[in-house]
Amino acid sequence: MTLNGSRPDLDAIIELIPPKSRVLDLGCGDGELLARLIREKQVTARGVELSEANVRACIARGLSVRQGNIEEGLADYPDGAFDYVILSQTLAYLDHPIPVVNEMLRVGRRAVISFENAGYWRTRWRMFRGQGIGGDLCSGEVRARAITLPQFEAFAACMQAKIELVRLFAGDKPVRILPNWQTRVAIYVLSRAQGVV
Amino acid sequence: MIVQTQYFRYDGEIKLQSGATLGPITLAYETYGQLNADRSNAILICHAWSGDAHVAGRHSPDDPKPGWWDDAVGPGKAFDTDKYFVVCSNVIGGCGGSTGPSSINPKTGRPYGLSFPIVTIADMVEAQRLLTDHLGIERWLTVTGGSMGGMQALQWTVSYPARVRSAIVLAATARLSPQTIALNEVPRQAIYADPNWNNGDYYGKTPPNAGLAVARMIGHITFLSDASMREKFGRRLRNGSEGYGWRFDPEFEVESYLNYRGHSFTKRFDANSFLYLSKAMDYFDLSYGLPSLADAFRKVTAKFLVVSYTSDWLYPSWQSKELVRALLQNDIDVTYVEIDSNYGHDAFLLEVDRLAELTRDFLRRVETTH
Repeated sequence: MTLNGSRPDLDAIIELIPPKSRVLDLGCGDGELLARLIREKQVTARGVELSEANVRACIARGLSVRQGNIEEGLADYPDGAFDYVILSQTLAYLDHPIPVVNEMLRVGRRAVISFENAGYWRTRWRMFRGQGIGGDLCSGEVRARAITLPQFEAFAACMQAKIELVRLFAGDKPVRILPNWQTRVAIYVLSRAQGVV
Repeated sequence: MIVQTQYFRYDGEIKLQSGATLGPITLAYETYGQLNADRSNAILICHAWSGDAHVAGRHSPDDPKPGWWDDAVGPGKAFDTDKYFVVCSNVIGGCGGSTGPSSINPKTGRPYGLSFPIVTIADMVEAQRLLTDHLGIERWLTVTGGSMGGMQALQWTVSYPARVRSAIVLAATARLSPQTIALNEVPRQAIYADPNWNNGDYYGKTPPNAGLAVARMIGHITFLSDASMREKFGRRLRNGSEGYGWRFDPEFEVESYLNYRGHSFTKRFDANSFLYLSKAMDYFDLSYGLPSLADAFRKVTAKFLVVSYTSDWLYPSWQSKELVRALLQNDIDVTYVEIDSNYGHDAFLLEVDRLAELTRDFLRRVETTH
């Protein structure tokens, strides 16, 4: 991703997951987050990952992962199979976020979604200078959606999801004022709003 | 690694899935490595259609050929015989020393032929369970195999959930697809059409080698892939630069490969066994008589490593994914990898380096958890 290797969201996600939870990480990459969750929170961890190389890396860490495309659905998992379903820095790369987040809210009691805020002032500055959003075309990075905080909150509302918790970061520090300008990385914890099936 | 085939004889009868009985039973098997003190390091390897108990090593120092999966089984290999006690037995219905249609029926004193009862994957596993008891193994660390071997591994987890800590299922399925049943039926028809087959009664006479060779050629096509055939043979001619011969002799390299494989197979395999094992696979469906495939795994506790191969069109990846879904619906710990390979179904035998990495990591986790 484009965060120069710094992932303050990982620490924050680990902090907000209670010990011994059942956790599913969608797009779990090389398994760093799941491995830390097992070590630091003794969770029961499962992962889904698209790339064979990353799946191998996860297996080498002793994780239980399956190779697959999260957009092909989570229909395999029973309702409420997990306490937390995590989508970390992956929302921007989904072709169809609605069905994925819907399924996250079905198979998990809570959905944890982190993303880079496109409203961050540096990103706006880059745009203003005509440098665009995301990696250079030469970087080979796959097409990503630009998502801002208000956009995400509108998305949560249209998904009829309740926002349980928000954590906003500029660098490693929490954001206090002007969130949509200051926030580089956002973490939202969603649940299915009461009475909605 | 020098190894000897051993024979286990069970004097009773087993009740088969069809309701028929079979007995007494002989199972040919080989073992590698040492069983540890608490008997927790035993691995059962199940062979595929044309395999046998001789999975690795050589029978004598001047034995020209090692076992069928020697690349994967041995010291430091995917199934490390320095660490694990590895067992492989020939299935019932086969012709590698275990009781099958070419064995003598003790009631008649003549080879069974078609009077041999239909056996299933579950029956093969039942016979292996007797051997397991005989060897004093309470619980397998893992049961593994590719293709028909993978079906047996799956069946083990269902038939004897308490006796299997994990299963490594390669290039297999929980139930055969109509395409694969079709690809089994044509080879059977090739054998039936050989007049020497004589309804399975050919022992002591000329065996149906022409039919069996064609059957095996069809098999080899299904084990390869379009890409691996292009890579391996292209349109190359046996005569190289001499060009077309304008006649019906095998001229293309792919033809001579199939002919060679087909005919050499007749020297080591019994046509009736070929028929029986193909039928066992056709009948294999863990959801048979159940509302869904997920229902088959309700009591299963083993951890799974499921591996499919991108170019395998005999047991394509969608079948492994179907299996993984059924396991997940039961909250079973399953790891799934789709290995990118051009080798088709044969990939499970050939992609050994990538497999070794996976089995090492997976088994380490199985050994450290309960």
